[in-house]
Amino acid sequence: MKGRISGIKRMEIHDGEGLRTTVFFKGCPLRCLWCHNPESLSFERQVAYFKGKCISCGACRGEQSAEAAERCPTGALWVYGMEYEAEALAALLSADAPFFGEKGGVTLSGGECLAQPEFAVALAKALFDRGIGVYIDTCGHAKREVLENLIPYTEKFLYDVKAMDEAVHLRCTGKGNARILENLSFLCERGCRVEIRYPLVKGYNDGECEKIAEFLLGLKGIEKIKVLQYHSFAASRYEALEMPCHLPSEETLLEDVERAVAVFKSFGLPAVNGAKED
Amino acid sequence: MPFLEEEILDYIHQYGKMASDHVLRLDCERIERMLDRCELTIPKENRFFAVPDHGNIASRVMYGRQDEVHAPICASKLYQNSKSLAYTGACDFGHTSAGWESVISLGIFGLRNRISEYAARADEGTEAFYDNLLRVYDAALRFMRRAADVALAAGKQEMARGLRELCEHAPSNLFEAMQTSIVYYVLQQYFDGTVLRTLGRPDGLFYPFYEKADKADADLLIADYIAEIDRLKAVANIPFALGGSDENGVDLTNALSYAFLHAYGSAQTQNVKLHLLWNEKTPHDFVEAAFRYIRSGNNSIVFMSDRCVISALEGQGVTHRDAARYHIVGCYECGGDEELTCSCNARVNVPKALELALNGGRDMLTGELLGLENNGCLDSYEALFEEFCRQLSYLCGCAMELTDLFEAEYAKIHSAPILSATYCSALEKAGDLYCDYTAKYNSSSLNALGLATAADSLAAIRKAVFEDRTVSLARFVEILKSNWENEEHFRLLIKNKYPKYGMGDARTDAIAKRIVDVLSDSVRCKPNAKGGKWRLGLFSINWRWAFGEKTAASADGRCLGEPISQNTGASFGCDREGATPHLLSVASIDATRVPNGAIADIDLHSSAVRGENGIRALVSSLEGYFSLGGFAVHYNVLDTETLMDARKHPEKYPNLQVRLCGWNVRYTLLSEKEQMEFIERSTR
Repeated sequence: MKGRISGIKRMEIHDGEGLRTTVFFKGCPLRCLWCHNPESLSFERQVAYFKGKCISCGACRGEQSAEAAERCPTGALWVYGMEYEAEALAALLSADAPFFGEKGGVTLSGGECLAQPEFAVALAKALFDRGIGVYIDTCGHAKREVLENLIPYTEKFLYDVKAMDEAVHLRCTGKGNARILENLSFLCERGCRVEIRYPLVKGYNDGECEKIAEFLLGLKGIEKIKVLQYHSFAASRYEALEMPCHLPSEETLLEDVERAVAVFKSFGLPAVNGAKED
Repeated sequence: MPFLEEEILDYIHQYGKMASDHVLRLDCERIERMLDRCELTIPKENRFFAVPDHGNIASRVMYGRQDEVHAPICASKLYQNSKSLAYTGACDFGHTSAGWESVISLGIFGLRNRISEYAARADEGTEAFYDNLLRVYDAALRFMRRAADVALAAGKQEMARGLRELCEHAPSNLFEAMQTSIVYYVLQQYFDGTVLRTLGRPDGLFYPFYEKADKADADLLIADYIAEIDRLKAVANIPFALGGSDENGVDLTNALSYAFLHAYGSAQTQNVKLHLLWNEKTPHDFVEAAFRYIRSGNNSIVFMSDRCVISALEGQGVTHRDAARYHIVGCYECGGDEELTCSCNARVNVPKALELALNGGRDMLTGELLGLENNGCLDSYEALFEEFCRQLSYLCGCAMELTDLFEAEYAKIHSAPILSATYCSALEKAGDLYCDYTAKYNSSSLNALGLATAADSLAAIRKAVFEDRTVSLARFVEILKSNWENEEHFRLLIKNKYPKYGMGDARTDAIAKRIVDVLSDSVRCKPNAKGGKWRLGLFSINWRWAFGEKTAASADGRCLGEPISQNTGASFGCDREGATPHLLSVASIDATRVPNGAIADIDLHSSAVRGENGIRALVSSLEGYFSLGGFAVHYNVLDTETLMDARKHPEKYPNLQVRLCGWNVRYTLLSEKEQMEFIERSTR
């Protein structure tokens, strides 16, 4: 079973507990306006061009292709979308197993890992069989059965909740949130370990805090709610991929995050400031 | 300055004119006169007594004699060739540990009495040795009495009382134990002139006194002790070690280890360095606390693995008991109990061995024949590797031969009476550690520089010439000789796209491992000129700049004159896959064959190891590395200055990671504006 990924990060600490390796799946069903991983949106292989790294050597002969990227000596042309067999990728990822310790492991992220369902399950199983703890970092927009198939191999779900208001969700992500919220309820009912991630983007979803809190109050097993601070740092990669960049210009301030955390806490929910704590 | 210029010159020129113990007698006379004559003042801020260095008199005498004694050797071809920096050889007066258990348990008073006990049992012909030592230690006690009077006059009651007690007893409380440590440092470093590069393990040495002390008083004392050490003049820095395990594998971390770690972490010193001796039973919270200090910008903590170090020392023939009590002199160099490590004698430029292999044994920059001639017939990668090994082994031989010539002359150059009195082996053999080679283990050490540069270069030639066949070997050699002239594309392709040591690539790592095995076979346990053994080390510290300047362009994409790789880690920029692959590569070599030190330098941005989870990740990276057989590791958590440099020279920091919002990105991929913002953020 082959899958396509946009990158791997090792010794990552922000995608779950302990020392982890994060695998970024390529392709996502949502189009969040603030997306920081533009290279993970399309399911297709993409060749990016980082102008700042180009020395105009001419090795690419002006082409922006995978073959030209191979000839590029500086990495100015960069291919996003390596293909792997699940078994082979699991073997590769297990190189870091000595460093994972008690809590660490591999996080499947993206893009949206559930959007390559068979590959995600095969990879999670292959890692599970090697004794490596698997976290699933997801936006939740997937068929119920995909989650069901993953549950046996998943230690914890890192689950995005971006808005409760359907219209706000649609405006910010391009999709409604009904299925996302249903899936979240399903995971909680099944007794899965779940950590909520709420990316706080001023002027977009910052009015959703109370509504999200009310919804989460009705769920069981939410271990943590992490409020993430928004920055506009991904602009250079949008440019390199020649993708239109709609990143909000206003950045979330630390105070904004603290305020949101306080709201969640006032509901008795275990919220943390993602800019400070992991 | 207590000496006239002509007196110093006299001490230099009188060496070797009489019997073989003449240098020791002269040195003892000099030390006695310095101790009796030196001016004593007590700075207001001092809680402990210490004096400043007195004009480097001891080292001037030592190096003055060395220049004269070594002159004939320096005229030899062997020495002249070493100027190419393919190899070097030297004496080492700069890396010693005292017999700290004797120093702290006996005190200066007790050390003196122990000499006199040995003197009472002395065989005929050995009395002179003990008399010389007694003369120096008697002078030391007079010096301390004089210091007590000056302290009293300056209103320093505690100091005066402590010094007086120490003139008549072994230390009996924590203050006196610490004062003994500092007085001893001053005596050996400034008067004996032999550089002391560790304060030993204070958590073990001071524990019997700490147990009896009021804990709040003790915490203040520890802070004052560290502040006093920080004020002492040091050659590089003054390390101490915490933790470790005993010979039965029992972890030695105790309450005092924590107290010292916390005092050191809060002290913000520049001069003091900490070695944290780790084993499987080292408490988690102790390691976590150390990482918190590292992360807060305190970068002078090095972790050492007990298991690997002890095994490496045992491989040199050090007994298990002595290996378990190992010391670290300076950076990462380990020695057993009563071992004179001489950790910085000889050096070999590993990339240069490849340069010679590719160029018929000749230096590519000067055309000089430095290595072994060959017929240039290198028609396979294996043939090239064999030839490289032949040259490397030859360079090791040259470095050791040159060092042996120099080291055979210690008896005419330098004695270390103050230090010698702390080694039971020296007292039993009735001879000086340097003049008479009386340490229990008389080691000489060779450091191989540029492991990663050489491994990456061999990997690049294997791929480009023998696998992809994109270039012939003859052509590749021409390209290197021309310093990549008109071949910038090829150079960058190799530099940025070829597999490298430090990326956890098993095939490249295997080359590095083979190189270390060859080095080890050429060096390890070979007999030296002192009746001891040679040891291998793999650190390059700042020498790599000078060595790089004299090394032609290398096949890994490095240009002529650029520094070669640092310590045992990846070449600059070749850690771009992250810290864990970097650690995997370094752990792939057999460090139990490298007692003089194999070290990984891990660069991380503080935001990439933030919060509790950052600490958790740091701890598990350390535990993983040591479980794989790592020897030592140094974590750098980077700051504004580095970020500024990374902005100007992104090529130097391809793996510098910064935290954005729930994930890390590589700093150099950010736009200028974004980079500037991080710089601003890091200054807040």
